[in-house]
Amino acid sequence: MQINTQRQDWLVAGFAALAISIHLLESALPSPIPGVKPGLANLVTLYVLIRHGWRLAVNVSLLRVLAGSLLLGSFLSPTFSLSLAGALASLTILGVVWHIPGKPVGPIGLSILAALAHMSAQIVTAYILFIPHSALFTLLPILLTVALISGTLGGILVNRIIERVDTLAPHE
Amino acid sequence: MTNLISKKNLSADFKLADKVIFVFSLLLVVTSYFYFWQTTPASYAIIKSPQQDTLQVNLDHKKIYDIQGTLGTSSIEVTHGKIRFTNSPCQNKFCIQHGWQQHHGELTACLPNRVSIQLASADKTASYDAINF
Repeated sequence: MQINTQRQDWLVAGFAALAISIHLLESALPSPIPGVKPGLANLVTLYVLIRHGWRLAVNVSLLRVLAGSLLLGSFLSPTFSLSLAGALASLTILGVVWHIPGKPVGPIGLSILAALAHMSAQIVTAYILFIPHSALFTLLPILLTVALISGTLGGILVNRIIERVDTLAPHE
Repeated sequence: MTNLISKKNLSADFKLADKVIFVFSLLLVVTSYFYFWQTTPASYAIIKSPQQDTLQVNLDHKKIYDIQGTLGTSSIEVTHGKIRFTNSPCQNKFCIQHGWQQHHGELTACLPNRVSIQLASADKTASYDAINF
């Protein structure tokens, strides 16, 4: 069977594969607090957003969540719902901010907003679905602090990666 | 090969909007500590034991409740917004050492006697406290 593929499909597949690999590697890292991860896989989403637009970023991010969960065996588990909720929330805010005319917000701003949205959506989902106890929100300030730090560092990293890629392969 | 972690001035990475977002996010995060880490005083306590009906007691008075548990009677003291175990027929008396409880969401229990106290405030109740898979 022959499937007609376009350049876009190749990009989605390639970036999704990269994001999934990072996602898997990251899940092997020990974490001091449950749910605290550096969110490196989301840097791929951010890079794709800036270089190739929002639709491609949505594809890559959702594919990563889906395939990542299948590979880790967490498909349709609580972890998966949290992961999906985080991805949807950050994609939504990225979509809104990215489409502001004049594109005033750079990688760092986008990254911070996405990280905070990701974390908040996860904790709200956890509250609604799994732990409907207000004590859960005691964790929120710590998690938001981590999100702000990792979001800022991730944004700086993506900014530098994009500058570097731009000098090697100028944006079409 | 330029390094990604170079000596380049960090502020060059930030656009104006990025700086604004960073500052606002920082404020948001700091505010969240004040908002989510404040404690709400409890207004009532729910006392549970398998030996008797679940009791909902108001905390704005002074009284001692004797609760029948599986081992014997636990005494629970209520004084103006606070509650504690004063006596219990268990071995280690962890419940008594746990002391006064007074904030919404707090929980204390005498496990051997299977008596538990859960503190809550007027409009915040949850039908269950957690689901595990």
